[in-house]
Amino acid sequence: MRWFFRLVFWFVVFCLVIFLVVILVPVKRSDPITVLPQDYKSPEGRGLYLALMADCAACHTAPGGKIYAGGQVVQSPFGPIYASNITPGKNGIAGWSLDDFRAVLRDGLRPDGTQLYPAMPYESYRKISDEDIFALYDYFMNSVKPVDEKVKQTNLIFPFNQRWGIRIWNWFAIPGKPGFRPRYGDALLDRGAYLVESLAHCGDCHTPRDILFRQSGLDASHPEFLTGQTLDDWSSPDLRGPDSSLARWSSEDIKLYLMSGRNRYSAAVGPMKLVIKDSLQYATPADIEAIVAYLEKIRMPGKPAQPVRDPDITTALLTGADPGMPPGARLYLDNCNACHRVDGKGAAEVFPELDGARLVNASDSSGLIRVILEGSRLPSTRIRPADLAMPGFAWRLNDEEAAELVNFLRTGWTNKAAPVTAADIAKVRAEPSAD
Amino acid sequence: MVYKTLFSKEKKLTRRGLLTGACTCAAVALSARYALAQQEQSVPLENYQRAYFNAEEWTFVMAATARLIPSEGNGPGAIEARVPVFIDRQMALPWGRGEHWYREGPFERDAPRYTGYQAAPSPAEAYRLAIPRINRWCTEKYGDIFAGLPAEEQDEALVRIENDEVPIDEIRSGDFFAFLLQNTREGYLSDPMYGGNHDMAAWVYINFPGARASFAEWVEKDNIRYRLGPVSLSGERA
Amino acid sequence: MAITNKKKSVVIIGLGWVGSIVGIELAQEGYEVLALERGKDRDTVPDWSYPRTADELKYGLRLDEAVRPRDHTVTIRRHLDDVAFPYRQLGSFLPGIGVGGAGIHWNAQAWRPHSEELYLRTYIEQTFGNIIPEDMAVQDWGVTYNELEPYFDMFEKVAGVSGMAGNIKGRIQEGGNPFEAWRSNSYPMPAQPLTYNGHLFSEAARSLGYHPFPFPAAIASRAYTNPYGMQMGPCNFCGFCERYGCLNYSKGSPQVSILAALKQHKNFEYRTNSDVLRIEKSPDEKTVSGVTYIDLTGKEVFQPADLVILSGFMINNVHLLLVSGLGQPYDPYSGEGVIGRNYAYQTINGSGTLFFRDKVFNPFVGSGANAACIDDFGFGRIDLAREGFIGGSRIDCSQTNGQPIRSMPLPAGTPEWGSKWKEAIGEWYGHAVTIGQHGTNMTYRDAYLDLDPNYRDKYGRPLMRMTFNWHENDIRLSQYISKQIDKIAEAMEPDSYHPAPMQDNQPYDVRIYQTTHTVGGAIMGENPTRSALNRYLQHWDYHNLFVPGANAFPQNIQQNPTGTIGALTYWMIASLKNDYLRNPRPLV
Repeated sequence: MRWFFRLVFWFVVFCLVIFLVVILVPVKRSDPITVLPQDYKSPEGRGLYLALMADCAACHTAPGGKIYAGGQVVQSPFGPIYASNITPGKNGIAGWSLDDFRAVLRDGLRPDGTQLYPAMPYESYRKISDEDIFALYDYFMNSVKPVDEKVKQTNLIFPFNQRWGIRIWNWFAIPGKPGFRPRYGDALLDRGAYLVESLAHCGDCHTPRDILFRQSGLDASHPEFLTGQTLDDWSSPDLRGPDSSLARWSSEDIKLYLMSGRNRYSAAVGPMKLVIKDSLQYATPADIEAIVAYLEKIRMPGKPAQPVRDPDITTALLTGADPGMPPGARLYLDNCNACHRVDGKGAAEVFPELDGARLVNASDSSGLIRVILEGSRLPSTRIRPADLAMPGFAWRLNDEEAAELVNFLRTGWTNKAAPVTAADIAKVRAEPSAD
Repeated sequence: MVYKTLFSKEKKLTRRGLLTGACTCAAVALSARYALAQQEQSVPLENYQRAYFNAEEWTFVMAATARLIPSEGNGPGAIEARVPVFIDRQMALPWGRGEHWYREGPFERDAPRYTGYQAAPSPAEAYRLAIPRINRWCTEKYGDIFAGLPAEEQDEALVRIENDEVPIDEIRSGDFFAFLLQNTREGYLSDPMYGGNHDMAAWVYINFPGARASFAEWVEKDNIRYRLGPVSLSGERA
Repeated sequence: MAITNKKKSVVIIGLGWVGSIVGIELAQEGYEVLALERGKDRDTVPDWSYPRTADELKYGLRLDEAVRPRDHTVTIRRHLDDVAFPYRQLGSFLPGIGVGGAGIHWNAQAWRPHSEELYLRTYIEQTFGNIIPEDMAVQDWGVTYNELEPYFDMFEKVAGVSGMAGNIKGRIQEGGNPFEAWRSNSYPMPAQPLTYNGHLFSEAARSLGYHPFPFPAAIASRAYTNPYGMQMGPCNFCGFCERYGCLNYSKGSPQVSILAALKQHKNFEYRTNSDVLRIEKSPDEKTVSGVTYIDLTGKEVFQPADLVILSGFMINNVHLLLVSGLGQPYDPYSGEGVIGRNYAYQTINGSGTLFFRDKVFNPFVGSGANAACIDDFGFGRIDLAREGFIGGSRIDCSQTNGQPIRSMPLPAGTPEWGSKWKEAIGEWYGHAVTIGQHGTNMTYRDAYLDLDPNYRDKYGRPLMRMTFNWHENDIRLSQYISKQIDKIAEAMEPDSYHPAPMQDNQPYDVRIYQTTHTVGGAIMGENPTRSALNRYLQHWDYHNLFVPGANAFPQNIQQNPTGTIGALTYWMIASLKNDYLRNPRPLV
């Protein structure tokens, strides 16, 4: 029995040591990687552009709120986190130095040393270059309209309000020095890698997280980087595997999707719409090209799986319009066929295809169910201004019918995915999405 | 286990915002309407709770529509299709109250028909004014109110009503007849959500697919009969 | 006292096709543009969502997408000595209202005129001599087809027209209309396929030596992106086209073709439920100073403007000119005055219906422009001196919808009700084909628009009074065409055929829907004593007021007006951008 008490004793000592280290050893900010000359000036408009690419507004502008004035709530499994006011007003970042600003992006540290929750994606942002951090700082301090509004303070329940714990997490989650190291020896690819890994922080949604909630890889050298995860109620897809949508798309297809949320195969749904609307639609053509080149570079080798059946079987079933058709097919003709057509191919850039669609085949069916029940509206973008919308069908389909229809889709044409039940429908129906 | 990300950007503030609220309300309202429609259709015609017509008017409308679209022969009659329910509900809606029309005077009851309907009464008023007079006239000419007459006399009476033979101060009886006939056809063939075309039986009869509105693959199927039954706006299938 | 707003460079009255085109073209140039729309806002989703818009009662019969006469209407009479009665219910024509206007509920038949129609008077005189009757008021337009051609092309690209060209730069194309005016390009998209009725008609027409071709349709035959980046989905022949907003982004309309792109411009603003009462004159009497409108709360507001574009539905345009006192009203007795003169309609009556016991048509498979037609009797094809009328018409065989309440053709003699009627609908629904016509309608001294002496609108303004009847000339045209229809019908070998030609002295019947192609009343022309607008659609008397729309037509063309309205609008915009806006003044 004594060995037990000794174990407990040393364990407590160990914890105390850690605690003292964390409390007493001062938080150290990372040094700048590049020291900029005293008279350094960013190119005109650079800061604004970078703020769009980093999509700061996604968190820091509340719906209907003043730009960058914070107040937006970010849901975490541990409670609500409120994004702060990052305008140069009182209760914002008035008086911050460049070093203060940099410390937020690189280390997740506020000027007073408080650790930020990694809802602020400093895991990714720490790769932003010093030149770009300078431009962002310049933009936020000098071009953004100051707003003095105080924002609700984040107050998670114990033990998650013990921010020093994040420091420990950081040791595991973000090893190594900050900054981006070009690795391809090709300006276009390195630019693409830089954008994806830092500013656009695609991995925050598209990379799976491990048991410690860390991203399973922060760059393409990790096999799980950008291989998809379930975000909220939407599964963000794999961007690298041979069965991913991107593997099937041409460069032009990927480009158009990033710029407008649509291409001849697919239409963006869920949170990705906002990424395109608020951020990617403003990327320069050169930057889009770079992102596309990088995504193509990091594609995993392998052949896509062969279609499980001849799609013409489903097409013929629907074309025949036989009164004896199975109920799922009937429901398809009564609700979906008008746009998505008997071949499940929709119409290029207007109605996304259902045959072979990732959303339809995803093992997590909730995204598909949500789109059917609630519909979805594409954002208006510069090159494709039409905010094309699919209406929702929650009012017209009960849970059984919706399940029947979903199962028809998931086994129609070349699709192959597990069936859903009426309970699955009810679950999504009970939690309508915010937008 | 569904692996949720640590942090997600939900716009909680709009969760109960206007748009979502409106969509939810609409969804609730429409599914309520669907439920109401289902409920109504299971109520026998005699127990239907009228929105507008009084007992005399209802009796007349039941009898008249039954002659305009009789039950015998292929296809439902007006009664099976619940046309009287449709008409009753229409009278309580803006169209029935004449709210779509320009209704400033002076009116002209006897204007030539090609000038359009120029009398004062709205459709709902027209039914209310015409039916008692028609019943009185029927009693004079045939010995009983319209609903009490045998079918052949009812048919003859309808022809004479259409020919403006029944004296009604505010409106020619032929103009009232035009409303009645139009509403009867509408009640027979409109979407069931309006109270008529019960179970889409009239659509099934003529082979009209209802609200499917999707036929790209049928454009060039020359001389091939489309056979799939109709779907209503609320999603009922036949 | 009215509130006065801050001035805008451009104020557009009416946000339909014309207003949207002017809006985007001038917003792109950087001007501060404000559009005032009397109706409400509308968009594909939610207003015309699939499947809710497939509701015959709501849209096909109660006409929820069109104007309510309660809010805006006219009075109508046939002769100068008649009293006019209000158009109390919609019937003959369906004016639009709301964002998108009639551009929402149109058939999307997208045509160009014959080039001769634009100089009709000169053409007739040169070709046939002095055959124009004394009381016929037809005129040349003041602009030629060749001048307008690039703008027809532009409008077709914007609206997304599917068609088969017949004459590309003088080279006749197989399968198109060999008689059409030349075009610089083929249509933006291939023609729509035809349904069975169209195939039967085409075969019969060919057997008689005619030249059938499919209707040009502002309805996408495949996925399409227009010059503004706006997108259309391919039509699915849903059969709920005219009177309905499109559920599929397939029918060209301001919403589908322009508005989301227009709304990206921060210098463009629009206000709905803003009903313009009057256009206000400036003290200098050479310009207008702006417009007075009733806002959505019922308050009167004055909106100053440098340039006013009056682009509502043409009835509304002419009415506003009359109540605002902008131009001398036309007096049919003296022949003087310009506002209200030359009102015309469309010679569209005179169809025939064929019944086939053993042929099956699925009439619900349709679009608003699903039709085959021939132009062999179109304007310029007929020896007018010999036949004794002036005009021309197409002959068409369409299948736009099978909505059972309003589209239930039955053999003549079928009772309107009773068991025989019920039997007939079961027997004949899906077994009928209709052949129709759609032709020119001339203008006359005694067909015009003015203010009614008896009836007022909800603001207390006199309603506009329409004096119009079918004239002998157009009835003769129609009867002539009916005879040609008979021949084609015979060649189709129906089990029974029921022609319904126009009757001599047939009065204009406002109960029956015919078409919304009302034209004229503020016409363009070369002579300021016989027209309201010059060739740039600029008001002769108020140089910062332009009135694009069907009001500008001096008589009605054979084909549907929207294509020509679109071309005139782009033509006008070219003169605004390149000339007027740099140096505001009368352009002629």
